[in-house]
Amino acid sequence: MKTILIVISPNGESKVETQGFSGSECRQASRFLKSALGTKRTETLTSEFYGLQSQTQTENQQEN
Amino acid sequence: MALRAACRRMRLDEPVHQTVKLFSDQATGYCVQLPRWRYPVVCNTEAGVVKYDNYDGHWGEQAHLDRLIQSYAVEKSILEARKQGHPVTEQSLADGSIKLTVLVGSGN
Repeated sequence: MKTILIVISPNGESKVETQGFSGSECRQASRFLKSALGTKRTETLTSEFYGLQSQTQTENQQEN
Repeated sequence: MALRAACRRMRLDEPVHQTVKLFSDQATGYCVQLPRWRYPVVCNTEAGVVKYDNYDGHWGEQAHLDRLIQSYAVEKSILEARKQGHPVTEQSLADGSIKLTVLVGSGN
């Protein structure tokens, strides 16, 4: 049986794994999910209370 | 839309597209009001960007936002798998993760 397993952690990071596919078929099969989940990006607009830069960014790549 | 489904999953009000003030800045997008957050989080689902100001946790628990992002990823995956005609099953794991199993080529 061909399956795609996706595990999404409590902080939103995703792992995609394929089972039962042969060769490059697995990459093809999971492409739509990787494309949909893509890259998560959050921007914290920090308040002036910090006295730091007004904007910080974190970026987490979601991958297989 | 996956964000709306994510809000339903978390029993939150539906997202509203608008421009809102975030302390000293403002942002436009789909706004979600998380429990006990001073300002809404502003989501641009096309760009995959979430803007928010929780003053390092003083104005809103980070865990709520993390859960929204998790819920969105779950709903988006389910939506996309179903678009491809693949059935999906969901399972909650002990560490709080959510596991989705997509059956491919099951003749559905």
